[in-house]
Amino acid sequence: MKKTPPILLPSVRYKRKATVFLLVSLAVTGVCIYLGFNPVLLFTEFHFVWDLVGEMLPPDFSILWTNQTILSSIGQTLSMAFLGTLAGGTLAICCAFLASSNTMPLKGVRIFVRALLALERVIPTLVTILLCVIAVGLGPFAGVLTLTITTIGTFGKLFTEAIDNAEYAPAEAIFSVGATRWQVAHFSILPQVLPSFIANFLYAFDINLRVAIGLGIFGGGGIGFQLYMAMKVFHYRDAMALLCFSTTLILLTEKVSDYLRKKIL
Amino acid sequence: MSLRDFSLRRYRKRILPLGILVLLTVVTGKACGASWDGLLSGLVKGYSFLGHLFPPDWKAFPEMIGPAVESIVIALLATLFGTLLSLCFAMAAAANISYRWLRSLSRAIIAIERSLPEIIIILILVAVFGLGPVPGVLALTLGCIGMLGKLFADAIEEIDPITIESIAAVGANKGQIIVFGVLPQIMPRVITYAMFRFEINIRLSVLLGAVGAGGIGYELDSAFNMLQYHRAFTALIVTLLLVFLTERLSGHLRKKVKAEGALK
Repeated sequence: MKKTPPILLPSVRYKRKATVFLLVSLAVTGVCIYLGFNPVLLFTEFHFVWDLVGEMLPPDFSILWTNQTILSSIGQTLSMAFLGTLAGGTLAICCAFLASSNTMPLKGVRIFVRALLALERVIPTLVTILLCVIAVGLGPFAGVLTLTITTIGTFGKLFTEAIDNAEYAPAEAIFSVGATRWQVAHFSILPQVLPSFIANFLYAFDINLRVAIGLGIFGGGGIGFQLYMAMKVFHYRDAMALLCFSTTLILLTEKVSDYLRKKIL
Repeated sequence: MSLRDFSLRRYRKRILPLGILVLLTVVTGKACGASWDGLLSGLVKGYSFLGHLFPPDWKAFPEMIGPAVESIVIALLATLFGTLLSLCFAMAAAANISYRWLRSLSRAIIAIERSLPEIIIILILVAVFGLGPVPGVLALTLGCIGMLGKLFADAIEEIDPITIESIAAVGANKGQIIVFGVLPQIMPRVITYAMFRFEINIRLSVLLGAVGAGGIGYELDSAFNMLQYHRAFTALIVTLLLVFLTERLSGHLRKKVKAEGALK
């Protein structure tokens, strides 16, 4: 039973709103004091931001051809995102087929795979990359593994839902004429969900590219690592150029994947 | 079954994409130094490493509470500020209440912000404000604009135009239109999206902690770097609990908001 809330008098309503507002602002002030975060400082000390921006401009785009490693690290970042998406997405599809009640008759397997996916989603990226760096050493391969694992977690759930929501009537139809479970999955479920899977792959590539740039800082290599190094040794103009490169890269992939998605769906 | 079933023509449509995919995989695999041997030895190494993590160092548990609270607080503050900031940007970016030039400007800012990963924002902010929670809060606040700004702007563009028109017809100015016409209509969505963002912010605050925002992410990273693996495992457990609980809480609240329309 859903109760409709009683209509309150304006005076009561305003009092309530005022109380909530007061409490929230008190809490925010308290929290700011706890963190030592002074918003006023942001405005009085704003010249530091200008100083940094002054040091960063103009960006030194010439590093693209004077420094050989930049191009290869851009390629590395793109490769990390691509491999992570491909491996993670493929494994996510496998997990999804094992986790959906439409394709997996054994309840135990379903629950196990679902729990695994849920666990993977809870583990933060930081933990995954730290563990992967220990396992395979510094370098883009650790980044690829991290991206694979995170992609399985996020997209495994999405794919499971897609398979769960697929129409069961075609599956039943070909099951009734003697198709095996494998054939049912191949000829009735897969055609229904494949377009959305491919669209999600493109989406995953977008996300993974961003994450791949971030992972560079923790030892994943690629353009993120170059940016981190440039900031560390105060080569701000190089850093600005790298920043522009990565932004352009992300914007471009977003546009391309948007275009491809529209074409597929 | 005829011969055509096995002809190349039937599979041509699949061969081309598959060929490109295989080629790309090989090339990118080379670029990343990925190999099956590396993966296998990595799996063995990783598995034996997991043995080093056990058992967790329960004595370090009380020391983890402070950083965990700090991470939550960073995420909370950033979500609050970020939601307010994104609302401003969304108002400017919505076609139905904003001017044309302002709209394209705001949309461009939102798009550029979305293409900047939070971790890069914090790298720059750490150079300005030094280490500590301040750059963390700021980076996450700015990080909200890209996602929330776009979602809010789309929400504003979808509202019922009749309400705005009728309010404008009785002589309301722009501010009054926004307060009485726009905000009440988008409030449920704002709350839902903000909670969703809070989940993301918790994860990000763990990640940013390692770069210099403090909190549980810093504890985790430093314990790993100093090879104190038992301590790291404790931090890991606290982190997992944190993420899991916030996810549950925000999921529950989102469901509630969806059912009631808005929290009164």
